[in-house]
Amino acid sequence: MKMEEMSLSGLDNSKLEAIAQEIYADLVEDSCLGFCFEVHRAVKCGYFFLDDTDPDSMKDFEIVDQPGLDIFGQVFNQWKSKECVCPNCSRSIAASRFAPHLEKCLGMGRNSSRIANRRIANSNNMNKSESDQEDNDDINDNDWSYGSEKKAKKRKSDKNPNSPRRSKSLKHKNGELSNSDPFKYSNSTGISYETLGPEELRSLLTTQCGVISEHTKKMCTRSLRCPQHTDEQRRTVRIYFLGPSAVLPEVESSLDNDGFDMTDSQALISRLQWDGSSDLSPSDSGSSKTSENQGWGLGTNSSESRKTKKKKSHLSLVGTASGLGSNKKKKPKPPAPPTPSIYDDIN
Amino acid sequence: QEPRPPPRPRPRRGPGGGCLDVDFAVGPPGCSHVNSFKVGENWRQELRVIYQCFVWCGTPETRKSKAKSCVCHVCGTHLNRLHSCLSCVFFGCFTEKHIHEHAETKQHNLAVDLYYGGIYCFMCKDYVYDIDIEQIAKEEQGECSVPGLGEKYPTWETTKPELELLGHNPRRRRIASSFTIGLRGLINLGNTCFMNCIVQALTHTPILRDFFLSDRHRCEMPSPELCLVCEMSSLFRELYSGNPSPHVPYKLLHLVWIHARHLAGYRQQDAHEFLIAALDVLHRHCKGDDVGKVASNPNHCNCIIDQIFTGGLQSDVTCQACHGVSTTIDPCWDISLDLPGSCTSFWPMSPGRESSLNGESHIPGITTLTDCLRRFTRPEHLGSSAKIKCGSCQSYQESTKQLTMKKLPVVACFHFKRFEHSAKQRRKITTYISFPLELDMTPFMASSKETRVNGQLQLPTNSGNNENKYSLFAVVNHQGTLESGHYTSFIRHHRDQWFKCDDAVITKASIKDVLDSEGYLLFYHKQVLEPEPEKVKEMTPQAY
Repeated sequence: MKMEEMSLSGLDNSKLEAIAQEIYADLVEDSCLGFCFEVHRAVKCGYFFLDDTDPDSMKDFEIVDQPGLDIFGQVFNQWKSKECVCPNCSRSIAASRFAPHLEKCLGMGRNSSRIANRRIANSNNMNKSESDQEDNDDINDNDWSYGSEKKAKKRKSDKNPNSPRRSKSLKHKNGELSNSDPFKYSNSTGISYETLGPEELRSLLTTQCGVISEHTKKMCTRSLRCPQHTDEQRRTVRIYFLGPSAVLPEVESSLDNDGFDMTDSQALISRLQWDGSSDLSPSDSGSSKTSENQGWGLGTNSSESRKTKKKKSHLSLVGTASGLGSNKKKKPKPPAPPTPSIYDDIN
Repeated sequence: QEPRPPPRPRPRRGPGGGCLDVDFAVGPPGCSHVNSFKVGENWRQELRVIYQCFVWCGTPETRKSKAKSCVCHVCGTHLNRLHSCLSCVFFGCFTEKHIHEHAETKQHNLAVDLYYGGIYCFMCKDYVYDIDIEQIAKEEQGECSVPGLGEKYPTWETTKPELELLGHNPRRRRIASSFTIGLRGLINLGNTCFMNCIVQALTHTPILRDFFLSDRHRCEMPSPELCLVCEMSSLFRELYSGNPSPHVPYKLLHLVWIHARHLAGYRQQDAHEFLIAALDVLHRHCKGDDVGKVASNPNHCNCIIDQIFTGGLQSDVTCQACHGVSTTIDPCWDISLDLPGSCTSFWPMSPGRESSLNGESHIPGITTLTDCLRRFTRPEHLGSSAKIKCGSCQSYQESTKQLTMKKLPVVACFHFKRFEHSAKQRRKITTYISFPLELDMTPFMASSKETRVNGQLQLPTNSGNNENKYSLFAVVNHQGTLESGHYTSFIRHHRDQWFKCDDAVITKASIKDVLDSEGYLLFYHKQVLEPEPEKVKEMTPQAY
């Protein structure tokens, strides 16, 4: 089979086909040879058998296909006792309750602000009626019952019955709606900000004045428009706690509470908020980011306000690459939480 | 007390009963004849020259000279397993034993195979593998690349430490048919079924699985404990561990809430939205961007997420006055499809027509995925209320707009827009949409556009192009209403086995179960992957 140069022109079809056949056969043989070498080399170098599995150990992993059992041969619904450790608070939590726990733990739940305020109030001197409220609240917050109950009990004994503050807080009670009002705090006592976590602090600063008193070293718990402090002071304290980008939440003047006492309407607003609020906490600022990404074909967020406590399926929005439409309920600027909820409920 | 030396690896017995006792620490044994060859200072260089000129020719000149001069000195053939003597310039073919004759006559014991570079020892009467020569051969082979054919894909070779480990651990598991390795349930953490379904789909995406199981992720994040890609890597290890007890993905939830704040909160959520948010965070973290500040251009991003999921959606706007076309190409991670019956879509074509294109169930009245895609890529007249400013006419004109795929992603995700919440109504569209096991995207590509005549799709006569063919590998389904529901998924495991994933419970499913399901998110994987030169190191070209 000497190799020689030859011209392809002038050859008839059958000759050309024979040549093509020859080339094809060479290529096939070539490939087979290559494969043989691979195997030969793998065997001689000792790694040909390396990916063999041990039939005995594989037996444990055979798929089961029987009614009432999963593929591992396990019965359904036996995983209630699974637990995990919360990365935020390091407590052991039942796995199926982890999501609601984490929401509260990170201070982003609808009740987080209320809980934070309650803890703040606990850290100061409390009167007896306030501590009664604690027990009602605890029933609603299963995840917090263990920790806060303990705290509540402790604080009771720490109370100083002779504190000059106590008479003032009794006075407040008369102005409040009812004993079942969960949203209670004493305007005259301040808040020790050292006991607060960052999320609680952030949450607090959206609803309260927050300016630190030079005398007591505590944060002012009056409204965002309290006359005792200026906006400038409020801005300063926010920058101090939250960083240079912190903003002072705006409050609509019609619902403002300038005085010491909480007015009836404000208490009503607060109560309505906790019953079924939208999640307009600062964490929602994340949704504006998604709108920037519309060109990527990303879905935009629709944060529906929850009218009832029933959990709703989160809605998906039109998120085609052409970016049509958006159905955000988010208001252009985030006002203090009590304000928008009253209008939502009326609608 | 002296530390005990590691135990000698036990010899493995192969199916043929052959037993090889190789000390993995040392490598392949070579032979004494090869050792005699490796003396002096010049043998390395001489060997390299032989490889470069006669075996792996890297230049057109060497290729030409090989073709001309590499023939058997006895019979003149260039076939028949030609070998070159290692000690002198002699070419002889193996089949006719011409090289053997030379070896005996001249006492030259070694020859190299000109096709694959193996060294044959005539005394041992076998090909031998010497560790030093193997190293040189590997280098020379690597240097040689043929333009147009791309880089040669090397077969997997273990490294020394890997060989030792494998030798010490003969009990092994692999992903194989009828075994549970690679399947595992996920605990519902409280309305997190939407997340569990996406995790199941992602962890059963073949190319993503290969990336993570071969430990390719190198963390770039300032704090690795916050890296979602690292967590993904960990998830793969958990799900492929063979552990039958369902995994608790609490860390994943925590990280997603931190990095995608709009999703944080205890409530039912949309699986599609979660998918997009997760891909976004993974993409950012691949580049070490933990605050979402780096403006990255997805067209130039080389992270594994973009390599796999990013497609190019072309939008052509044609001015009706001057017929000038303005084209933009946007990156996309998914295609969201309108369904018949929704108030936003108009559905002019009768469903069922020409849907045998992809082998979907051709029942009149049943809409298919192909129908939805055809509607998605049809030219749409924008109407007189939506005039576009035309660059050449310099005025506002009526125009038509058409979307097509310019670049197909490796993994295509289709999203049926079942949740409708317009001013008119809020509801879930539960219309069954038939979708195929295999999908050819050729008709929906930008290059197929020209085949539309008067809005009618001209089916390409040759749809045999494998590059655009996809296989279904995961389906996410939603049961329930817009307000409240439950997500489950079907995933494909090991070729043709399907499994239903309902949070912690994994059960076997039939292909019919999958194809009869309603379908909300569909995941398709390219059947054939052509690695591009600059990306070959990242991707391994294997699919089902």
